[in-house]
Amino acid sequence: MEKAELIQKINAAMAEEFEVEESVFTPEADIKSTLELDSLSLVDLVALVESNFGIKINGTDIAKIRNFGALYDLIYEKTQSK
Amino acid sequence: MSAEPILKGEEVLKLIPQRPPVVMVDALYSVTVDSAETGLDIDPSCIFCRNGKLSEPGIVEHAAQSAAVFADYDSYVKGMPPRLGFIAELKNLEIALLPEAGKSLRTSLSLLGTAMGMSLMKVEVRCGDDAVAKGQMKIFIKE
Repeated sequence: MEKAELIQKINAAMAEEFEVEESVFTPEADIKSTLELDSLSLVDLVALVESNFGIKINGTDIAKIRNFGALYDLIYEKTQSK
Repeated sequence: MSAEPILKGEEVLKLIPQRPPVVMVDALYSVTVDSAETGLDIDPSCIFCRNGKLSEPGIVEHAAQSAAVFADYDSYVKGMPPRLGFIAELKNLEIALLPEAGKSLRTSLSLLGTAMGMSLMKVEVRCGDDAVAKGQMKIFIKE
């Protein structure tokens, strides 16, 4: 899957799960404040990524991610090395 | 669906901190890294039964204890005591029917993700061929 296609798929899934407009997902945007992530909802993002892309991600790694650009990179790298 | 449990009765108590009369899971039929199946014979004298049926809180408690059994199976295998688990969130929970006392529940759990001590699981409770409840459950296990 091309990276642009992957980003589109991630954004669509996040928009549905977190009920946020896709237009706010920019590579520089802060992921925690945009998705209103906290210690309770972080696992929702992990589950969303794992179920949509068939990859395993470490909850600690995703907790360190600051913006959507870093999230796209992480998922892209994982899907490429599957 | 497995016919015979791999753990039942007293042995299941090694995986959960609850004790009678609030034990709401009595069998573990299967467990893998990302799924498990549990069971419960509904005792008519169960404190969660009303008018001969298992109440909604009883179904939720059964689902939560099933999730705890699944989450703590590794500790059990290592001979460690059960850890405390807390329901952090119930999501999209649908209860289709209240099963009659005396009948048996079978519950399937699928792990959807884990992060920072939190586990998100898909739960489906059945009574024979009938769907009892389904939804997602977020469980926090205290280390």
